[in-house]
Amino acid sequence: MTMFRGLYMTARVVHGIHVSSRFIHKHTRFFTLGLRNISTGRPVQNYFFKDLENQFKAFREKTAEAMPSSDWTPFEINRSLPPERADIVIVGGGVMGWSIAYWLKQKEKIREGVRVLVVERDPTYSQASTVLSAGGIRQQFSLPENIVLSIASADFMRNINKHLSVLNEDPVDLQFNHSGYLFLASENVAQIMEENYKTQRYVGAKVALLSPTQLKEKFPWINTDGIVLASYGLENEGWFDPWTLLNAFRRKAISMGVYQCFGEVTGFKYTTNSMNTAEGNKLDFQRIKYANVQMPNSLEYQPVECAIVVNAAGAFSGKVAEMMGIGLGLKDTIAGVPLPVEPRKRFVYVVHCPDGPGLETPFLIDYSGVYFRREGLGGNYIAGMSPEEEEPDTSNLEVDHQFFQEKVWPRLAHRVPAFENLKVKSAWAGFYDYNTFDQNGIVGNHPLVNNMFFATGFSGHGLQHSPAVGRAIAELILDGGFQTLDLSAFSFQRIITQEPMLEKNIV
Amino acid sequence: MLKILIPTFMLFPTIWLVPGKWLWTATTAHSLVVASASLSWFKWCSETGWVAPNLYLALDPLSFPLAVLACWLVPLMIIASQNHVAHEPLTRQRTYISLLVSLQVFLILAFSAMDILTFYVMFEATLIPTLIIITRWGSQTERLSAGTYFMFYTLLGSLPLLVALLYLLNDTGTLSMHTLQYIQMTNPDTLGTMLWWVACLLAFLVKMPLYGVHLWLPKAHVEAPVAGSMVLAAVLLKLGGYGMMRMMVVLGPLTKEMAYPFIILALWGIIMTGSICLRQTDLKSLIAYSSVSHMGLVASGILIQTPWGFTGAIILMVAHGLASSALFCLANTSYERTHSRTMLLTRGLQMILPLMAAWWFLANLANLALPPLPNLMGELMIIVSVFNWSSWTILLTGLGTLITASYSLHLFLTTQRGPTPQHFISMDPSHTREHLLMALHLIPLLLLVLKPELMWGWCF
Repeated sequence: MTMFRGLYMTARVVHGIHVSSRFIHKHTRFFTLGLRNISTGRPVQNYFFKDLENQFKAFREKTAEAMPSSDWTPFEINRSLPPERADIVIVGGGVMGWSIAYWLKQKEKIREGVRVLVVERDPTYSQASTVLSAGGIRQQFSLPENIVLSIASADFMRNINKHLSVLNEDPVDLQFNHSGYLFLASENVAQIMEENYKTQRYVGAKVALLSPTQLKEKFPWINTDGIVLASYGLENEGWFDPWTLLNAFRRKAISMGVYQCFGEVTGFKYTTNSMNTAEGNKLDFQRIKYANVQMPNSLEYQPVECAIVVNAAGAFSGKVAEMMGIGLGLKDTIAGVPLPVEPRKRFVYVVHCPDGPGLETPFLIDYSGVYFRREGLGGNYIAGMSPEEEEPDTSNLEVDHQFFQEKVWPRLAHRVPAFENLKVKSAWAGFYDYNTFDQNGIVGNHPLVNNMFFATGFSGHGLQHSPAVGRAIAELILDGGFQTLDLSAFSFQRIITQEPMLEKNIV
Repeated sequence: MLKILIPTFMLFPTIWLVPGKWLWTATTAHSLVVASASLSWFKWCSETGWVAPNLYLALDPLSFPLAVLACWLVPLMIIASQNHVAHEPLTRQRTYISLLVSLQVFLILAFSAMDILTFYVMFEATLIPTLIIITRWGSQTERLSAGTYFMFYTLLGSLPLLVALLYLLNDTGTLSMHTLQYIQMTNPDTLGTMLWWVACLLAFLVKMPLYGVHLWLPKAHVEAPVAGSMVLAAVLLKLGGYGMMRMMVVLGPLTKEMAYPFIILALWGIIMTGSICLRQTDLKSLIAYSSVSHMGLVASGILIQTPWGFTGAIILMVAHGLASSALFCLANTSYERTHSRTMLLTRGLQMILPLMAAWWFLANLANLALPPLPNLMGELMIIVSVFNWSSWTILLTGLGTLITASYSLHLFLTTQRGPTPQHFISMDPSHTREHLLMALHLIPLLLLVLKPELMWGWCF
């Protein structure tokens, strides 16, 4: 019965074609019997064409692979090796290195104008200063150059999506908390703070001086004991996420065609030109021809032919400079002046205090050297202190909890009574690329090694200056000189002539 | 002929038996002697129409300028390579110079071949040393792809040429150029003959290169070491032009219709490759594309088949050979100092190397066809003869001249003028060897202004 209905239905459907009904009725009978497929297997004919299709497809794919424009080669090439030739090799893939790479690509006027290679030793960034940083940015420096750098970098970071956004990708969110820095001064440093305030205002930073009573009004949780003057940054100061900035620079730079290589620069091949000065002293000018990049966990290395090398290796820049013999010459010569950058270990402790200062907390820096800032919205704070007498051992990144118990906590609790009951949640240690000479960055090329540029030695304020310094180095390389900001005060000359540019506000 | 060929062959024992510290001096001196001896070919006896004729090899006014150019270039190549090859093991240095000399041998035999099949064999034979030089002494991974492109583009054109030549041999019984001038083409209207016409010319058009099949040239030039680039630009491209001119004799009346698309392609190529030059970031790549541009003009001049066209083509070939080779040598001087071919990083050199800036200026002026240099003479003759063929081509050739001038000036201004980068504090001053090299390129060019009849071919 149902079968008959089914037949009838099928017949009515077939009747939709314009043929006389009677004729089609008879016809459809046979047809529907044929349309009703009784066999469960597929007919053999379909297999043949499908196989042929598949074979053609495989053949096409194979020939496409062997076409000249594709990647396939008969020789096995190790893809993680850097290219054999790059115009500019940036040693160090921290925020400074990637900022320089981004600005170099930004400034080339023609696509693929320069080939930039960033060489980073550690893809996990386990020892990199960038990501272990507290991430603060401030304009409260004593040197006008530093203030100008911070203002320029803050401007970059506030408009970061105008610079670093990539098409079809998420916009960059730096989590820039504009909470400002609060420096506290005791009797003997209040004078310096006032002079700094004048310099900062002159250069254009928006800073305010507060008396102890004003301080107590604004931040009631502070114990103003011993404080004579406080300096509070009103704009462009605060903290942000260093990982986000690093990844934003990296993503944008790679989208613009910067090559990235995970390897370690272990040496350079260079040529030397010996010349005599007017007084008859001998000077050896060196020119780097190749940078040897060694692959991780392997003996394989690739000599990368390069025109310029930028030393942005942060805490380890001293070692990279030694590979060129900077500092290994005779004592009273230019070649004997080493790059005075060495790693210094600093600790950061994450503490939880439920009755703590709250959301209004600025990045507070006490005259005793201890500092803290709010971290997130759950009552966590980050605290630390620069060690005064003894520098911790830099062979590892182990945290010294005794330091917190003995040095940091008492001073913290003295300044902010609520911190007497806090709990240390976690802690980490990171390296400053510490410039032992004058704790300020070294930017520019070395007088004897013609094509090595430095962008290192920022001693704790490198992250906040990275956008502006990156632009300055790119201008130095591509335009022949500084254009927007003149950082010639940070050149290596001052190290040779032993004229320090001392920054009085080093945290 | 033998008094040039045998000393050239004897260069091989010189290379391999001379003690190591005399290698470069001896080979340079020997090849300079051979080059000066080759100048004797300029004495043209117009009775027979051929210089130094024997049964198998002879030179005529078309081929002896090119043969002299080939001989002249070998000492220049050896001088240019001295610096960058000097750090290698001695055997490798000897091999390198042997490859250059073997190229010279094949080239002299090619230009003086009287039998077209001999010419074909020598034409193919020049590919092998060039391929070895590009892939073994080039500096980057891309050189393998460059070698592949170079090899297979040329072979793609020359297999049909072989078939066409064998067919011609079968048809006429001889391939000697003495007799082929009297051959009539039998049936010019059939498709088969038209295909045969294309097959005859395709190899040479690829070698010139014509615009559509020019992709191998920038790759090969950029990846080759300086001597490879010099010989490629100066002489190997001219093999294509010379081959075309020889084949025109047998291609008969068919060329009048069949050449149409190739002339247009060549003229269009001048403008296209000239525009590409304006956007180049790599120094050698810019010079390579400018070679394509000039050779487009030569190709159209040859395909027009008028006396002025041919004369212009020969003059432009010789002049372009010297000028382009000079530019590659200059690019190499800059590359040896900064290890970068990127134009953004090798700027403002006039402040540091002012004498080299003077050579840059001269070479760029030669490239943009400044009067009274022979580059202009050749270009003008070709432009006039092409205009005679069709008035509309003046748009293409005029625009092409304008673009040539602009990219030559762009090249000069970018590399020489402008702010000097910071990292050029101490660079090697210009070596005497480099000055010698440039002088040996540009002095013949200037001398040719005074007696251009040497290059004019049969037509004057």
